[in-house]
Amino acid sequence: MTEPGITPASAADALAEIHARRDQVVTATLVPHWYWPALGGLIVAFTAAVETRRPWVLAVGSVAYAIGLAAVVGRVVVRHRAQVHTSLIGVHGAITIAVYVLVLVALSLGTGFAAEAAGLAWPATIGAATTGGAMTATGLPLMRYLRRVMTTRPLGGGR
Amino acid sequence: MSTPRFDELIHAPTRLSLVSLLAATEWAEFRYLREQLGLSDSALSKQLTTLEQVGYVEIRKSFVGKRPRTSVTLSRAGRAAFDGHVAALQEIVARSGLTVLPGG
Repeated sequence: MTEPGITPASAADALAEIHARRDQVVTATLVPHWYWPALGGLIVAFTAAVETRRPWVLAVGSVAYAIGLAAVVGRVVVRHRAQVHTSLIGVHGAITIAVYVLVLVALSLGTGFAAEAAGLAWPATIGAATTGGAMTATGLPLMRYLRRVMTTRPLGGGR
Repeated sequence: MSTPRFDELIHAPTRLSLVSLLAATEWAEFRYLREQLGLSDSALSKQLTTLEQVGYVEIRKSFVGKRPRTSVTLSRAGRAAFDGHVAALQEIVARSGLTVLPGG
């Protein structure tokens, strides 16, 4: 190793700066708070439109869903001016995201089929509303958790 | 774990902040880096040119619609140099018995 002419205190300061900059990137690249209720609301509205079984409602609902989804995702993409490094998310973070999605799908299907079996009206909408509610309630904690996973990862090449 | 190698080029304060941001990203837009670091266009360009000349960053210019977009990526060599630099800093700190608190 080349012997640098810096003190341990300035090395510690440099490491603190590196940590701070990484935290800055992670915070800036997480999806915003409004994303989850917005996406949940769109899913519920679209499912309800399908479940009316009226062609014109389905047509209007489909177009509104496409426009709404494009607006929500587009807004996130436009303000997205850096992509967090995949090594920060890591296997642990990727598994967390995959399990989260699977649980949401299972919740939607399970609630929908249960509502249908119970003879309730609008079973798919009930399933979607449950999922939308779960997304709204857990989206922010999920982001907090992923933020913690990414910011506590060892610096440099450490995995 | 990387081999400790102190890198004078990366350690300069502004470049340390810049490379630290880039190390946490797959890519970052020029505008994003400028805002996060509080630098002028010319100051950031100068730092990026220095890093590009030694092969630490790759700069890509493209268009999104009619808007020009400049994105910056830390190259493989840049990432290896950064990892080595972090390991060197950690070694210096470890030898002294100091500790670093993340976010401090």
